[in-house]
Amino acid sequence: MSGTLGVARTHLVTALRERVTLFWFLVFPVFLLVLLSAVFGRIGEQGGVQFEITVIDLDRGQPREFSDLVLGLFSEMAAPPQEGGEPLFLLTLPPADADPVRFLDEERRQLQRGGRAAVVVIPDGFSRAVTARLGGLASGTGDAADDAAKLRIHYSQGTVASEMAAAIIEQMLAGVDREILRRFGALDEERAIRTETTWVGGGDAETSYIDFLLPGIILMGFFTNGLFGIPGSILFARDRRVLRRYWVTPLGVPRYLLGLSIGHLALCALQFGLIFGIGRFALGASVSFRSPAAVAFLALAAATFTALGFLIASLARTGHAGMAIANVLNMPLMFLSGLFFPIAGLPAALVAIIRANPLTYLGEGLRAAVGVEAGTTSTLLLVGVPLLWIAVSSAIAVRKLRWDVAR
Amino acid sequence: MNDDRVVLRVQELRKHYGEVHAVDGISFDVPRSSVFTMLGPNGAGKTTTLEILEGVREPDGGTLELFGRRLARVDRTTKQRMGVLLQEGNFEEYLRVREVIDLFASFFERARPAEEILELVALSDKKRAYVKNLSGGQKQRLALGAALVNDPELVFLDEPTTGLDPQARRNIWSITDDLRAAEKTIILTTHYMEEAETLSDLVCIMDHGKIIASGSPRELTLGLGQEAMIEFGAEGLAEETIAQLRGCCKAMRQAGDQLTVETEDLVPTMGAVLQWAERNEIALRNMVVRQPNLEDVFLSLTGRRLRE
Repeated sequence: MSGTLGVARTHLVTALRERVTLFWFLVFPVFLLVLLSAVFGRIGEQGGVQFEITVIDLDRGQPREFSDLVLGLFSEMAAPPQEGGEPLFLLTLPPADADPVRFLDEERRQLQRGGRAAVVVIPDGFSRAVTARLGGLASGTGDAADDAAKLRIHYSQGTVASEMAAAIIEQMLAGVDREILRRFGALDEERAIRTETTWVGGGDAETSYIDFLLPGIILMGFFTNGLFGIPGSILFARDRRVLRRYWVTPLGVPRYLLGLSIGHLALCALQFGLIFGIGRFALGASVSFRSPAAVAFLALAAATFTALGFLIASLARTGHAGMAIANVLNMPLMFLSGLFFPIAGLPAALVAIIRANPLTYLGEGLRAAVGVEAGTTSTLLLVGVPLLWIAVSSAIAVRKLRWDVAR
Repeated sequence: MNDDRVVLRVQELRKHYGEVHAVDGISFDVPRSSVFTMLGPNGAGKTTTLEILEGVREPDGGTLELFGRRLARVDRTTKQRMGVLLQEGNFEEYLRVREVIDLFASFFERARPAEEILELVALSDKKRAYVKNLSGGQKQRLALGAALVNDPELVFLDEPTTGLDPQARRNIWSITDDLRAAEKTIILTTHYMEEAETLSDLVCIMDHGKIIASGSPRELTLGLGQEAMIEFGAEGLAEETIAQLRGCCKAMRQAGDQLTVETEDLVPTMGAVLQWAERNEIALRNMVVRQPNLEDVFLSLTGRRLRE
């Protein structure tokens, strides 16, 4: 066994034997997963999440084929499932005598107050515009769409239920869209029905809250492991003079850090297995992490947060100081990442943090890789920014990490 | 000294922290198969010297020659041939004894079998115990095991028995004797005079970053020119009463109620002390006659005690 593997094994076994570490590494993420699932949606066979949504049909033109198709889709989702339980949507439609514009305003206010999860508007001339666009696609005359061909999905930014509802609606529409394009023999085209919100692609219509939640919880687990676990291991070992003992052997800093990384990745793999297993088998998640892209993003995330932990360890003077730095970084980096809240419309200073935050790219990359959310950032950035963090943090740690506090 | 007899040669070694000269141009040789002890009070510079020799701190000046190689700093190749025992346990508390030995064995290119090491430090029956459940003596024996796992030629023992009970201390001494018998070279630091005198072939006494004396324990104590020390306790002595004793001895020290009389000629001095006590009706308590020790050497050189 080489020194590197010796350190890796030590990190793994001591973490698994220490109750406090065990709690934060394994019990806490699972607890959070179950708690959030229970709070934001009744899960599994009991029907999953239920969202209150409103659909307003403003299409007064003829034909109405596609407007009816969309309406029918929502009605179907609002009907009680054959296998029992609650339907996914609780649907509100405008009363026959209502003024559609005023009704929309009222529903938007409801949305802001949290009374609705989403409001979908079928614009006037929608069906005709889609038909025209599809005609154009079929005859190869190019993009004939106009604004009327876009469904407007209103949702409340920063509200998890609303974000979820919007994501699921787009997911449903993507399924319908593929079917329409197939019928018109235009599968190479991007889409037939456009929406004004971010498109949700991939997956299937059974995407549930737990599927959306699972990648975020896994990333959060890796993030807190790296941010707290790594500096904790290094700095408290230094405080107890364990590092001094290692440093008088031929082990060396690079091999020590590499060993720690390997042990930590193994711990993350265990954590992933546990969270995923509970998500899959106890909470009914269907999201899959089997694609090479998903595996790559998981590994990249674990490695990035490990390196971030190295950086903290190399800058802090004591274990407690390291924990304080990790605490200061934890919340801002977590919440300014888009992992839990959307990041549009924030002040420039916060946007700068978001752009530099590796969690932003890893969150988007992983969700895109597992198909619960389509990314808008290039793959180069999604991979490049975390890699840059790994390179810089590791280089600083190898140079700066000391066995004692600088005199 | 003949070069092939020298394991470690230190010349003009320097290390400073700002204005503080922690190590101030010290030079010494450590012969092969000897026990070389560094003595000195806290802040004398022995810990910094040791850290430089162990390769965890870089010197600001001077040269090191280890195993015949001249080095700017101790490198990984050299560390393969060294073993280090630190003052404290320094192990992960949730590792088992056997795992600690395996871990340290993994750091070296060549390692002795773990079972052999455990037997050497008498921990075979504790190999599945967690470090956190070991007694102080057992932890120190484990630390010694980890220091010997690579069968080192040069062993650093940094205050190996501090805080241990007499039995545990004797266990460590016994293992140190075995190492000497196996022709290992040992560099020892200690606060215990008895330990230094019992174990050392050579002693160097440090103070304020410099070596103020070196030689074998016997050479150093003989250098004082005193045959014996007479120590006793006496309460409420007036200055003039004490002054009466000065004429009958080479030197005298007072620490509270405790008097130490140094002499080159024990019998007449002892007689004079007893007469002085009788004449002044002084009750002598806990009277002891002893040989001068390294503490006396330090005291005579600096005017301070090692532990002050």
